[in-house]
Amino acid sequence: MGPVTNDPRAFFAIDEGAASTAAAIVARLSGRWRLLASASFPAAIETGTILALITERLRLADPDLAATVGTDDGLERWTRLLVRGRPAGRIAVVAGAERAVGPFAAAATLSGWRVSTASAERLDPLAMTAFLLDPGFDAVLVGAGEPPGADERPALDDLAALVAAIVRRRPDVTVVLGGAMADRAATIEDVGDRPGALLLAPSPGGPAEEAALRALLDELRAPIDDARRAIIRTLRSLADALDRRIEVLELGVTGGLRAHALPGSGGEPGTVRAAIVASAGLTGEDREDVAVDDLMAWTTIALDRHRLRDRLRELRTAPWGDCSGDGAHLRMAAARAALSRLVDLTPDLGALPAPDLLVAAGGAWAVAPGPAIALALADVVRRSGATHLAYDHARLLGPLGAIDDDAERRTMVGDLAGELLAPLGSVVMPQGLHPGRPAGRLVVRATSGTTEVELVAGGLELVDLPPGETASAELHFRDTVRLGARGRNFSVDVAGGLGGLLVDLRDVPMRLPERHDRRREILAAWQGALWGGGEG
Amino acid sequence: MIDSAVWAAGLDLVALRPLLETPIDVRLVVAPGDRILVAAGETVVAGAQVAERVRDTRLEEITGPVADAQPGGRWSGELGPGGLGLRRRAATASGELLFATDGRWRVATGTHVEPVDSPVEGTVRFVRAGVDLVIRATGRGLPGVSALGAPARGVLAIETGPDGELRSGAVDVAASGRILVGGSRVDAETLTRARAMGARGMIVAGLSGKERRDFLASEARQRAALHRPPPFAVLVLDGALRRPIASAIMAVLAALAGREVAVVTDPPALVFDEPALSIPTPDPGWVRVRSGPLAGGEGRWAGLAGPRRFGPGTHLEAGFVEFPGEEPVALPLNDLERYA
Repeated sequence: MGPVTNDPRAFFAIDEGAASTAAAIVARLSGRWRLLASASFPAAIETGTILALITERLRLADPDLAATVGTDDGLERWTRLLVRGRPAGRIAVVAGAERAVGPFAAAATLSGWRVSTASAERLDPLAMTAFLLDPGFDAVLVGAGEPPGADERPALDDLAALVAAIVRRRPDVTVVLGGAMADRAATIEDVGDRPGALLLAPSPGGPAEEAALRALLDELRAPIDDARRAIIRTLRSLADALDRRIEVLELGVTGGLRAHALPGSGGEPGTVRAAIVASAGLTGEDREDVAVDDLMAWTTIALDRHRLRDRLRELRTAPWGDCSGDGAHLRMAAARAALSRLVDLTPDLGALPAPDLLVAAGGAWAVAPGPAIALALADVVRRSGATHLAYDHARLLGPLGAIDDDAERRTMVGDLAGELLAPLGSVVMPQGLHPGRPAGRLVVRATSGTTEVELVAGGLELVDLPPGETASAELHFRDTVRLGARGRNFSVDVAGGLGGLLVDLRDVPMRLPERHDRRREILAAWQGALWGGGEG
Repeated sequence: MIDSAVWAAGLDLVALRPLLETPIDVRLVVAPGDRILVAAGETVVAGAQVAERVRDTRLEEITGPVADAQPGGRWSGELGPGGLGLRRRAATASGELLFATDGRWRVATGTHVEPVDSPVEGTVRFVRAGVDLVIRATGRGLPGVSALGAPARGVLAIETGPDGELRSGAVDVAASGRILVGGSRVDAETLTRARAMGARGMIVAGLSGKERRDFLASEARQRAALHRPPPFAVLVLDGALRRPIASAIMAVLAALAGREVAVVTDPPALVFDEPALSIPTPDPGWVRVRSGPLAGGEGRWAGLAGPRRFGPGTHLEAGFVEFPGEEPVALPLNDLERYA
């Protein structure tokens, strides 16, 4: 996608996801970019129909503004920033020994692939042939240590010959040879010309090699218009534009993205660390029993395991449907489960200092009220500190990443930051409290007044702080706690939002009862207040 | 360009679900060692044997040279003493070449084979030894969301209404050779009884996860038996929850009653080759509730309702639907579908 400033007035931002399509109109008014309209519909609806709808709504809401941005000029001529989310591809990760599979499989898992593993140690050549001939695999990663271990070496020649035979039968499959397997590339090159690529990659022995392998696998995973890759680009621009440390947690049907950005300083560019995880999709991973277990851990609906499995299947069949009533609560439970998987698989990102701003993005959050999203983030991302929360409500983070030029993207993101991110509020999460005991006192000084709250460990305190308001929160604890740093008295800046200020005095990490009925009661009690009076 | 009349009514914002698909490529899975008997471009008739499936596949090693050897190619010859079966003397065998190291080929072979028949008439598009063969059916396909069992063919019989539930006691030997339309849902007991009575398949709107697991476990036991029953397929039209079969689909099934059809599993679909059969065209203004509390309900589209509140804190794009004999109600657009 080239520069968008060729069109001085307006463009469409489109995120075509696997389950839903989000579209928005962004226009330049009075010297800055503004978000004028947005909507999201199931992917089965034609994008042109959605664009026509939001344009018509803009005309109805403000005919003069619509005329100014050129809605009468013919929508076909408008620039479109388009990104797409696709179902995660499947990769077979094989090695000579079971031990050697793990690091390669981990790299593939964090690069957005659905991973199946096998080793010559576990499967005989017949079973391995059947495994690799599965036409569901888009790529095969054959790995070995560098140098290979004693347990791997005897199997490597057979493995190379077997993969070469697979390639002859499935010339379309992409093969990645990792580590010492690269020495056997000639065996597969002998197959001759074919549509599938043969790539060489390092063994993930160290951080640099692992990063290189993940970069290669990510390139392989999706074409250039991939929505998640675009979000990472936008995040870097957003961190620079706001000069804040920002983390994005994006969840869709096909997977999840966790990305942590640091703004550039002293002339150095900003940095982003990211992981894309296919099993962090809204409807869970391939193993249905695991997905049901994950969902049961977060559901507030009293359903037995079989019925919950059926609801999960329905969600997989029609992920855009059943968004009201208890269906909305089920979706949020599924989102929490997906977020848990994402957080569990990215401990290195979790170990980074708490970001200044945590952004929820993706279609998984689409139908939940803002306060419920804020609580879901606080439920799963258990990290001591004070963080502002926001939501990419128009799904603009992806399309803005389609702008190639860094400076142009940064300018546009800077203009739009206040509109593309819906403020959810702030969460203050101390660590080290003793549950059930008075913990101390909170004083919130805002322009609208001062609020004082007695804090009791183990629960949640909600302080009304509307969007646009900023305040100073003073926390005085009886005992020493950790809130970024260790201490008893803290003063933090907080920002208002749809969920206000959430003082989370629950355990870090969270501890919930094992019994499902008791667990449901507690989760429902926490969520009840944040669903606009609805039961959890 | 969007048709203004349709756009004004907002019907384009209701997801479209294809009632029939054509052409339909039916995929039959084979494993290493299985023998494919047809080649790309060949025409096959329904019921024709297209492959041999090996039931006791094992790995052997060929020590001598093999002429024109290619992975996936066929080989026949003599296996020396030894091997996985610990043969005491040489034996003649045939199988599929897998790969070679140090000049020695590994071959997948077996003793007991069973036929794989084509469930549809059509043309073989391509074959991949050890992977699959794909046949482009000459007929049309009515897609479902999932299918269990093995592709099967039989005479379509409607056993209950669109919102009925076929019970095991209602299935008898009259079901033999038939593909039964089982209504809104069935349980595993009904499925296993139908299979035992010689039925070739079942078409149902919803199949719960528990019944699915029970049936698959039973099917696995049956397939492992020495004498296997004929193939039996289950086509699920909608999902896991109970809901009536859509009226548009029911009209197709009613038109096909008494005719020979096939249920295939990849893609999950009912395939029929009746070019002269007149299929009623779905009413373009008729919509169905796909999900939510009113799932399965059908009514006439009555226009866009705009964003509406559905429960605490949940605001969704909505449309009006007029159920027969009732006032229009606003429902989330995400929950609606229409057939075409």
